[in-house]
Amino acid sequence: MALPNVQDYFIPGTRQEAVDLLGKFGENAMLVAGGTFVHGLEVRGVLGEIEALIDIGQLGLAGIRSEGGMLVVGATTNFGAIQANEAIASAPQYAAILDALTYPPAQIINVGTIGGCIGASAPLYDLPCALSALDASLRIDGGKGAREVALGGFFTGLFENVLAGDELITEVVLPAASANTASAFLKLETNANDLAIVNLAVRLTVDSSGNCADTRIYVGGGIGESYARAVSAEAALNGSPAEAASFAAASEAVVNDIEPVDDHRASAPYRAHIAKVYTRRCLATALERLG
Amino acid sequence: MKKLIELTVNGERHEVAVTPDASLLNVLRGDLALVGPKKGCDAGSCGCCSVQVDGKVVYSCMTYAVGAQGKEITTVEGIGRPDDLHPLQQAFIDAGAVQCGYCTSGILMAAKQLLETTPHPDETTIRHAIAGNLCRCTGYTKIVDAIKLAAERL
Repeated sequence: MALPNVQDYFIPGTRQEAVDLLGKFGENAMLVAGGTFVHGLEVRGVLGEIEALIDIGQLGLAGIRSEGGMLVVGATTNFGAIQANEAIASAPQYAAILDALTYPPAQIINVGTIGGCIGASAPLYDLPCALSALDASLRIDGGKGAREVALGGFFTGLFENVLAGDELITEVVLPAASANTASAFLKLETNANDLAIVNLAVRLTVDSSGNCADTRIYVGGGIGESYARAVSAEAALNGSPAEAASFAAASEAVVNDIEPVDDHRASAPYRAHIAKVYTRRCLATALERLG
Repeated sequence: MKKLIELTVNGERHEVAVTPDASLLNVLRGDLALVGPKKGCDAGSCGCCSVQVDGKVVYSCMTYAVGAQGKEITTVEGIGRPDDLHPLQQAFIDAGAVQCGYCTSGILMAAKQLLETTPHPDETTIRHAIAGNLCRCTGYTKIVDAIKLAAERL
């Protein structure tokens, strides 16, 4: 038994029940949505203290709807449902989401959830990197009521985030982007089922003068304890013409914003090099998507 | 403490007592003697344990059995019998797509979902559809051939 202290597997029917269970078991509770991340931790033997598995699949949190120009994605919406959503599939501004979902195999696409991969809080996951670049925010519910936080301020370290012990993510909000906005995402992996060595997402807006505006660049993988916003690369782009020379300058700047790790999967200089290449490629792809 | 749960597998209802953290794979193999799904990595990487849940292929090693209540579970035993093979199973034989066979049941389940959603897939689509399943013997070529053959016959 991989969870030696687990007492029960709960399937609450309401948010309040889920919050109450989280309040009761505190740090010894583990939420289960798709279950893939939980299992990943379980087989590594790091969930020895867990007493309660709380399955949030019956809370009615799956589904995608529009809300005043924004798209609201329920936390237990799985990757397959996101791929199948017409509003996401047809908008260049959301293209980074679909890019990120080309990597997982069918077995993960069918069960992995948007809220789960965010709650996991490991920068090795792809979709949160893309969502960060889209300025997504999270709606959270808990014992002290509901609140909304920007995804960019959600992660506080590896496997760490701003959630209190009795809180859960209920919805992911994708804001309306400015006109003429597109996004793109790329990931370096060694095989079809691999965690990111480096992943990178951009959102590019081209203003009426043909210049880059309000750019977002986020980098994940082995470049730090959580996703890094590449502010110096963004600054290099904003106000510059949306063309290859500006993209090259931004790609040189991206290394100022990351602290790549050196490990058996890739050296730090290699990760830095990939971040540069992917910055350039993602920007070029986003520009192409604007037609 | 064990929980009594009801699972519907290959159209049959089963009542089993399981621990809260039991994986669907362990229950299928250990409690229901359905040993078609194989335990390879037990970590959601190899795909040998693939089954369908409500028509979608999943890793049964990463699926909690308690959470699978009320859903339709299909294992390789449910898609054909020795005297009445599923077209994919027959195509795997005809194309010589099986060597050691350990990955085969999982790949059949991934291929089944593919052909249910994309009846005439091209090779890239086939390779993408089975990207969550590892085969260390065949090099995949004959597996891809078999899935193409099944698509033609279906």
